[in-house]
Amino acid sequence: MTLRGGLLAGILIAATALLAISGGVTAQDGGSAAHSVNVANAALTAPAAKAASAAANSNAAVKSPVAAAAKPQDDESLTIEGEKRFHANCGRCHQAPQKFPPRMMATIVRHMRVRATITDDDMRLILRYMTQ
Amino acid sequence: MSNEIWQTWHSKATSPRVAGALALLLMLLIAPTLRGQSPAQADAQSNAQTDAIEPESISPVPVFTMGTGFITQFEGGTPNLDPLISPIFLIPLGQNWLIESRDTFESDLAPVPGEPGYKGVLDKEVDYLQVDYIANPYLTVTVGRYLTPFGIFNERLYPIWIRDLQSDPLILPIATGPSGAGTGAMLRGGFDAAPGIEINYATYFSTLSTINRIDSDRAAGMRAGIYLPGPRLEVGGSFQHLLQDDRSNAFGFHFAWQPTPLPLDIRAEYARSHNGSGYWIETAYRLSQAPVWTSALRHVQVVGRMQQFYTGTVVDPDLPTVNTNMFEFGLNYYFRDDFRFVSSYGRQFAFQGNQNVWTLGLTYRLAMPLGDGDMQ
Ligand code: HEC
Repeated sequence: MTLRGGLLAGILIAATALLAISGGVTAQDGGSAAHSVNVANAALTAPAAKAASAAANSNAAVKSPVAAAAKPQDDESLTIEGEKRFHANCGRCHQAPQKFPPRMMATIVRHMRVRATITDDDMRLILRYMTQ
Repeated sequence: MSNEIWQTWHSKATSPRVAGALALLLMLLIAPTLRGQSPAQADAQSNAQTDAIEPESISPVPVFTMGTGFITQFEGGTPNLDPLISPIFLIPLGQNWLIESRDTFESDLAPVPGEPGYKGVLDKEVDYLQVDYIANPYLTVTVGRYLTPFGIFNERLYPIWIRDLQSDPLILPIATGPSGAGTGAMLRGGFDAAPGIEINYATYFSTLSTINRIDSDRAAGMRAGIYLPGPRLEVGGSFQHLLQDDRSNAFGFHFAWQPTPLPLDIRAEYARSHNGSGYWIETAYRLSQAPVWTSALRHVQVVGRMQQFYTGTVVDPDLPTVNTNMFEFGLNYYFRDDFRFVSSYGRQFAFQGNQNVWTLGLTYRLAMPLGDGDMQ
């Protein structure tokens, strides 16, 4: 196999792995709940995160009938989870920054999401924490 | 985009490799919709989630940020003055787009024998100028001129206000070249592979550009890393294949660890190509837990870095021409997270002679919103 072929094969393997990890091509959850279930699974690193995804689902309930009712303390656990993720992520390359005004923070977090390949969940939770 | 670049793009667009890359892009783009839901459903759900975690009322504003510094370097006794300004523009568009650019203006002012004062030229460089499209939670597509994601220093630690020691690692030019940038496209992202395990990746393709200040090589490559947020540990590897000249390969490994109980950063990188090979390992310790004088010492950071470089089979003017070892020691004082005093002492051991390098300076990072005064 040529090196070029190897590189291409590597990329394809990585892409396949990506697809597999992201839930694959089978719709285990029958459509509408699949996306949130997937994100919930991804976010389940701590009890607080469980609460976080529960809250995500419950707010979704406002628009879709899928999820359960909201609990007030979920809001706080989202913030705690956001703080945790801020500390795990935002001091890795440079000193962890101070808070900026919300609309500026939204731009910076988007920038860091791209540059630092921070996950979608991390980005949302951190932005939430940094703008409260 | 100049004609020249466009033609290079155009003429290669039909090759099987490019077709493969396009197929991959397509696959990643449609990945979320393959889970048995229509795009409209997927949108509705991710919006519902956005409502929950990212308040929709926060619409991002354009931001101007700037890294700047003034470093005095004493190399073999003569002082050089190195002022640097590096402005960044961040322009968010809609929910998923970001235009970002960074330029660097720097000078190396040195005394000219027999003349008064310091002389030097102003160097200008477009570090990057790119459009990012966040296609879905797993993929961001970048087009334009971007920092080459090979290893960690070039993309993550290079800015003057971030680096803990002011000199570049000896191996930095390996695979990133003199400009540190590529011109073309990049696919990148990060996602949870399992609870507590994050994967990040960046694959890129760059065309040849010989245009002054935005030069780049024709190359393709990728970097992938595994980050464990629990122990705050990342390991990863990089690979690059040159698609011009001798079509050589380069590869590297990186490691970064911030042990949770300590204010300690440990980072290391190894890189190898036909131009040479080597590694650096750096430890930075913030004295925030000092038992005495805590209020003053917690601003102090102590840094040590050890490097080795071995020459390769092909000479690269940006790399040392002989095997070189280097040891550096730094002392930084953080007035704030974005403003600090930096100093270092380094000793370089090489066949042609050993050398001492001292640096002393200030670095600062500014960030401000552009345009919109109403920040809420
Ligand atoms: C993988 C390394 C890395 C991580 C992790 C990271 N940053 Fe950054 N950050 C950078 C780099 C590199 C720059 C400089 C950007 C440039 O010069 O192009 C930067 C710049 C910034 C800036 C200056 C403004 C700007 O956007 O350029 C802020 C503020 C910032 N980061 C905040 C954060 C926050 C908040 C987080 C956590 C979500 C974070 N960073 C995580 C590498 C990182």
